[in-house]
Amino acid sequence: MQLDFKARELTIKLVYYGPALSGKTTNLQSIHQLVAGDVAGRLMTLETKDDRTLFFDLLPLTLSSEKGLQVRVKLFTVPGQVIHNATRRLVLQGADGVAFIADSQRSETKSNASSFVNLRQNLAENGIDPAAMPLVIQFNKRDLPEIRTDAEIDALAARGKEPVFKASAIRGVGVLETLLGLMENTWRHLEATHQLEEKFGVRTEPLLAEMRTHLGVKTDPAPEARR
Amino acid sequence: MSEAPDLMHADVSRLEDIVDKSALAEVCRSFFELFSIPIRVFSRDGALLADAHETRAICTYVNTLSGGRLACSALVGEVKNLDPEGTVEHPCFTGAIYRVVPIQYQGRRLGRFVVGPYFPAELRRVPGSLLVIDDGIDGEKARRALGEMPRVREETAKRLSDHLTRILDLIIFSGHRSFLTSEMHVASVRESFRALAEKNAALQEAYDKLRELDRLKSNFLATVSHELRTPLTSIIGYSDMLATGIAGELNEEQAEFVDTIRGKGDHLLALISSLLDLGKLEQGKLSLSLVHIDVPALIEEVAKTLAPAAAKREVQIRTSVDGSLPIVKADPVRLRQVLFNLTENAVKFSPRLGTVTLSVRGTEVDADGEGDGMGLVLLAAPKNALELSVSDQGPGIAAEEHAKIFDAFYQVDGSSTREHGGTGLGLSIVKRLVDAHGGSVWVESEVGKGTTFRFTILEADED
Repeated sequence: MQLDFKARELTIKLVYYGPALSGKTTNLQSIHQLVAGDVAGRLMTLETKDDRTLFFDLLPLTLSSEKGLQVRVKLFTVPGQVIHNATRRLVLQGADGVAFIADSQRSETKSNASSFVNLRQNLAENGIDPAAMPLVIQFNKRDLPEIRTDAEIDALAARGKEPVFKASAIRGVGVLETLLGLMENTWRHLEATHQLEEKFGVRTEPLLAEMRTHLGVKTDPAPEARR
Repeated sequence: MSEAPDLMHADVSRLEDIVDKSALAEVCRSFFELFSIPIRVFSRDGALLADAHETRAICTYVNTLSGGRLACSALVGEVKNLDPEGTVEHPCFTGAIYRVVPIQYQGRRLGRFVVGPYFPAELRRVPGSLLVIDDGIDGEKARRALGEMPRVREETAKRLSDHLTRILDLIIFSGHRSFLTSEMHVASVRESFRALAEKNAALQEAYDKLRELDRLKSNFLATVSHELRTPLTSIIGYSDMLATGIAGELNEEQAEFVDTIRGKGDHLLALISSLLDLGKLEQGKLSLSLVHIDVPALIEEVAKTLAPAAAKREVQIRTSVDGSLPIVKADPVRLRQVLFNLTENAVKFSPRLGTVTLSVRGTEVDADGEGDGMGLVLLAAPKNALELSVSDQGPGIAAEEHAKIFDAFYQVDGSSTREHGGTGLGLSIVKRLVDAHGGSVWVESEVGKGTTFRFTILEADED
């Protein structure tokens, strides 16, 4: 998080992490399509010829809160391919929250797990306690066959610590819910560690409500999977 | 290892860091050529980044008047210092307009561009503010000069500046993109290097530790072997004396016991000597005294020495000398030891009525033939060498064992020690001795088809 008291500007960095081809970039593309143009900036992709993420994708969101505080949310993806670990670690630097995008396909269970282990290692390497990082998990590609069932995921989610979302990023389903869930988690964590309300007079609930409106999500985003 | 905050958030603080100034200038120039409206781009702190304009007739005229000059420079200063949150239209006393538009990027104001001066198409008359600027102003001249000013409708001005906003946004976006790409490239390489360097340091540390352990092991081996040998020599000496009857005649059973003590003592001594040899070889302490060797005589002698042991197993030892041989220099004792070890092994593993063959022939080897084979044809210098081989008709050795049999204490089948005796050091010593002579040793064998050990010794340089 970056605070500029003078400019009344707050920058939050959210990172989409996950195994190769789990749909991190697709999440950002969907958000870019779903969110109004005055909120979402241009989607920047730094990719190779064959459309694989090389360094990161970046989608900037700009929201303004009730008391004129500019909240800039920067959504990053990491490159999922194993060889880009150094880049992943770099992109992870300064992250305020992480959305882990898992591939729902049964065959990808192992690579989800090893990517998650890699996330924890890289956080630790960056000097961050993985347990203290706001985190949500998204099971993407719900539209495909041969996936882990809802019942399976719900049962595991109920035992786990993090909010779990189900999505089909390519169809724009569940991506905003994931983003809002992550925003909410991250904001509450930042509020607890930096007392934003005291310093900026930004109250958490109205801000989150405003974000929901800005992002075009009307209902309460808390999914049933959350504890 | 934290990166600059700008890279961490992929942020831009200064417009001039990321835009391609010549691209910016070209866009402004082409905009000016198309619409004849001046345009200037400023960074947030007021630095002029691009400028496309021509001085207007009215400006030239006003600046000939002292009051006009003063008012004009004051106004230009005002416009320059404007840093509005949203678009503003700043009027000039001539009636012209400067349109100041902020440049926003990713929610941050990075600078502004100024369109104008242009004359609003809606304005028909010379404004009073111009006529009072100086006592000497000529109304007719001013009106004519104003007439040369481009006239733009408010709606058009808005559309033009919106268009420019979008073009600038694209220029900034692509500039930012290539800026991030190169920054990330460097940062990723640096991060990979850091991670590798860390790993290398850890490996080096582990390697150093292992080497130290290896040195300690060798020292230990040498010391212990030496300390063992001293009392053993006494044991063998005294059992010798007992056997010769110095301390009185022995009965048959006593003589047999003393013989056993003597035999086992010799075996133990051989083992300890091998260990000492190995220790010396490992520490590079072995010194060779190289002399010209009569190799055919040497193999005959080895064959003769081992003939009785072979005869016991009904194994025949044959020797073969093939043509003329290059002259080699070697340590006679050590070369004999190599041949002896190999032949003894061959006899040991031969089946009853088998044959062991010791051969020697001249050959050619590529002295620099190691490595990846690249440029081999240029690098390898063929050298004459002596190739000695020892073949048996024993059980053979599986291909996957070939590389390991020269390791100290390695035995293809652990049970063979019990069946055939031996220390498990013979081949390891052979390899080290051949290496010490600058030669190479290898094995050719297949299970069930016997085994041939070959080694080469390079021809002696003429001296």
